[in-house]
Amino acid sequence: MLVGGLLIIVAGLMAFFPSLSDSNDSVDWISLPLVGFPILVSCILLAFASQETRARKQVIAGPIRLFTLCASLIPLGISTALFFDWLILVNWENLSYNQYELEKEYVWIETIGVSWHVGMDGLSFPMVWLTTFLVPITIITTWNEKDGATYHPLLLMMGGALIGVFVALDLFLFYVFWELTLIPMFFLILKWGGKDRRYAAQKFFIYTFCASVIMLLGLITLYFLQPEGSGPGYGTVTNRTFDMKELFANAAFYNEGDKVFLGKDMQNILFAMLMIGFLVKLPAVPFHTWLPDAHVQAPTGGSMLLAGVMLKMGAYGMLRIPIAIFPDAVIYYQDVIMAIGLISLVWGAIVCLGQTNLKKMVAYSSVSHMGVILLGIASMQPIGYAAALFMMFAHGIISPMLFAVCGAFKHHYHSMEIGAMRGMAKWSPYLAVYMMFAWMASLGLPLLAGFVAELMVMIAFWPEYGWWILLPGAVLAITAAYYLWSMQRTIFEGGDEGQPPESLHGETPPDITLSENIGMIILAIFTVIFGILPFIALGMMDDWTVAFFEGVFKAGGI
Amino acid sequence: MLPAACDGPGMNCVEVFSTDFWQAFAPEAILIIGLLLLFIIPNLGNSKFRIPLTKTHVPWFFGGKRVKATGSPALPGMLATATLFTALGMMVIESIDGKMDTTTVVSGGIIIIKMDNFSRFFEILFLAAVLLASMASLDRIPAHTFHGKKSLEEMYDNRRQADFYILMLTTAIGMCIVALAQDLFVLFVGLELASLATYVLVGFHKETKSGAESGVKYFIVGSVASGVGLYGLSLLYLEFGTLQLTEIAANWVDSSILGTIALGLVLVGFGFKVSAAPFHFAAPDAYAGANSPVAGVLATASKAMGMIGLIRVLLIIALPESGAQESAIWLYALGTLSVITMTWGNVAALGSTNPKRMLAYSSVAHAGYMLAALTAVGAWKWGEVEAPSDYAEAIVAAVLFHLFVLVAFKLGAFLVLGLLEMEGGASRLSALSGLARRDPLIGTAMFIFMLALAGVPPLAGFVSKFLVVAGIVSNSVGELWVTTESVSFSDIHWVWWLALAMFINSAISVFYYLRIGVVMFLDVPEEGRRKPLPYGASIRMAIWICLVATVLLGLSGDTLIRMCYRAAESLNLA
Repeated sequence: MLVGGLLIIVAGLMAFFPSLSDSNDSVDWISLPLVGFPILVSCILLAFASQETRARKQVIAGPIRLFTLCASLIPLGISTALFFDWLILVNWENLSYNQYELEKEYVWIETIGVSWHVGMDGLSFPMVWLTTFLVPITIITTWNEKDGATYHPLLLMMGGALIGVFVALDLFLFYVFWELTLIPMFFLILKWGGKDRRYAAQKFFIYTFCASVIMLLGLITLYFLQPEGSGPGYGTVTNRTFDMKELFANAAFYNEGDKVFLGKDMQNILFAMLMIGFLVKLPAVPFHTWLPDAHVQAPTGGSMLLAGVMLKMGAYGMLRIPIAIFPDAVIYYQDVIMAIGLISLVWGAIVCLGQTNLKKMVAYSSVSHMGVILLGIASMQPIGYAAALFMMFAHGIISPMLFAVCGAFKHHYHSMEIGAMRGMAKWSPYLAVYMMFAWMASLGLPLLAGFVAELMVMIAFWPEYGWWILLPGAVLAITAAYYLWSMQRTIFEGGDEGQPPESLHGETPPDITLSENIGMIILAIFTVIFGILPFIALGMMDDWTVAFFEGVFKAGGI
Repeated sequence: MLPAACDGPGMNCVEVFSTDFWQAFAPEAILIIGLLLLFIIPNLGNSKFRIPLTKTHVPWFFGGKRVKATGSPALPGMLATATLFTALGMMVIESIDGKMDTTTVVSGGIIIIKMDNFSRFFEILFLAAVLLASMASLDRIPAHTFHGKKSLEEMYDNRRQADFYILMLTTAIGMCIVALAQDLFVLFVGLELASLATYVLVGFHKETKSGAESGVKYFIVGSVASGVGLYGLSLLYLEFGTLQLTEIAANWVDSSILGTIALGLVLVGFGFKVSAAPFHFAAPDAYAGANSPVAGVLATASKAMGMIGLIRVLLIIALPESGAQESAIWLYALGTLSVITMTWGNVAALGSTNPKRMLAYSSVAHAGYMLAALTAVGAWKWGEVEAPSDYAEAIVAAVLFHLFVLVAFKLGAFLVLGLLEMEGGASRLSALSGLARRDPLIGTAMFIFMLALAGVPPLAGFVSKFLVVAGIVSNSVGELWVTTESVSFSDIHWVWWLALAMFINSAISVFYYLRIGVVMFLDVPEEGRRKPLPYGASIRMAIWICLVATVLLGLSGDTLIRMCYRAAESLNLA
């Protein structure tokens, strides 16, 4: 029955995917290898594992885990190869605005103009690479998680859905993947979470779903306000399209030009509706309350992907859709965005100071860092946008490491309280080193990846807002304070013998396992690499930013 | 003498019971033959008829000691399922390519029924729902041949096999008549035929307290609603001297206040069927007391039947005069009603711990979404929005799509509850606890149905909700970009807010749909439910069909969307 059902679904997929609409016969490197493969493999593994008894699940957990790791290495290999131009000629650095590499378009729902349109540019490729990179790291770091037969496939599925968000060039497709990411994360929190996982999982799902539907209404309204057209990608009944490329090409119509379709107020309202969906995902301060709950309850692997990639979906979506289509509205809302960014930054940092729960502190520090991205966007400088992109990327490498440390802490000491463990340097030297490294990276130590982004944001901030720069500057000091303070309490205090946590009941505190060690050291290495040689990723981002400003703001007459 | 409707090109008018008639209505004829067979076959026996005043006994075969082969209690279910399957297959094959002939049946100058894409679409929907329900009932109300021990319940079940499936087929036939009807009287006859059958089906388990209670409640409220509707019909006849849809529509322009009141009363009757607030109070009780497959039919097919009524009355016979001031009042009333219905349904569902009641309230909420869509069409129809007719067709098509895919996931959810009912009740949320652990596939299927109901992509429920909202928004925007220099927010018609209300409501609804998922995946199974689920091959098959349809119609719904558009086009809204 199971096999039959799968066969029917696969046959259904086959029925509409081959309807190739472009004449370009080049290999499709995105649809199947990067998106379809992880999702399909994980679905099959989950269906297979769910049929087994509890005892059998223990037995098959090992092979499934290994298989999942191998499967997750394939997208990583492909995306790395794409970066270095090993496989095919891709040219990330000279793309003009609204041009994409490895573009593929297949008709999906013809009647309303939905197509499976994927492609990558300097904005999405770093995020895609980051996702493909983080999934195997996450699997390795949480190698010993219980119920591995279903846990690791869920991580893989999460990766596939996240990549789908970043490569989608069709609003409908984008939204489908946007919501699809909720489902594996919901299960990760629900089945492997902490004590309040029921509450946290539902809050996470409902909170982000509410915001997304408002965004969807904005998208639909935008869809019907676009001028009618015809051709590939346009609906046969509605005469309009969800194709982003087409929308961006027509976006000039929405602004000052020959013909103005949308009044300023309409643009502002649509911009705000779209931004609500992205701000909640980011999360920015009035909408951030789901994040600490989700993070504290989520298992380590879930937190790593959540902080590493899922939050960036918000920033990515902002840059991809509303800002690109309504540049006028960005000017209109510039101060609001700046204010939200500053409040997130300040509020997140101050709340961090008062936290006793290690993971909660790290979660709020994420809120704080996401505020930096908003500042970069509000600065309206190319360097600010490039900084925002690099912040997304750098935080995507550093924050998984933070959560890996928290996870190891919880795993080995059975407690999340900062005061519970003192003198970690004596008992768990490896964990102490990684913790110190990750904390330093996150507070923006020079030569580590986070510093580059923060510095660039500051540079962009100055010409626009002048002496307001003292505020983010002061917050960086607060950030250093809470990180150093928590480090001092856990790693160094407690005299020669330290104070092993009470939750261990007198047992010797263990050090981290080999798999955790491997995962964290890879993350540490990449943090250093991108700190010393930021231009590896920054070059591409810079070019994208320049093209973006050329194509959006200059073309819009701003 | 043929009416004027037959004059147009491509029109195919036939007289009742002519050869052409039987050719066009072969699937319906099969249903009726199946119904007759259901009457006859289980009663075949060895009885003899004595010719009066003689001692000659003539074999009569009807009654007496039943023949073993045909008297099997499992037979009626098989027969009904096979009949429905054949009829459904014929309809699908006939209409899937969209090259179906329109056939109008006239008698004495009156158009009785008309078979076009619209009515065929609904017939397919009805038969699919009833087929799935009757398939599921093969296991849900099991038939046994006795081997020694007899339990009272089994005997009840066996005795009533034929009754159950006769009622099922009658429901299907009544619904088909509603779909075909071109005359309000015929429509009403079909509606009552289906309703009476469902009243009995709801109270089918009359031994249980809730079964009898729900049956009586549903019957009383339903018959009051029908009575009000019938009164409205008689007033309409008083006003126009006819109940023909086309003629009322043509004469409506100079209608008096009496006609408006009459139509309002007719709407009450249909409002009950779609369970729109404030006529929805019987629905949760009825669904909770009926057995799950029947409740599934009520929530899908019966709702679609009411929706046909609303579409015919509101969109074919337009309520207000176009452009008149009074029209706005009707529009506001309908819009308010839709918002109240969806909000009431969702808020009530939040608080209900009985999964069947919860699904009933969610069905009320879905009725609200569809009323919102009809409001948007109304805004177009009554001249508040300037747009060509394909805008209105898009919304109607979206509503049809929504009704159709509801059969997949709402009925599917009820069938999962039906599977749980086979091992005891399913009237508490805790009955579902640990379902994903006891039977991962069924648990996952239920979770997917819930996600589809909530409107999570890429499932069919998302596409349908998306299309409905897109339809409403498209209508509120209209062709502003052609006529206006630059569109400002105040230019957009207020029905846009209904789309927002709908999305906010669907965000609320996620809460209770998700709760089911949490209970299934997280909680420990309750006492007495630790064993694997009962097997039930045919009910599982029905669940699987629903599941595959839910996923596939979400991933590639283009064929169905085209079918819906054709159906909406054949309404000739403009």
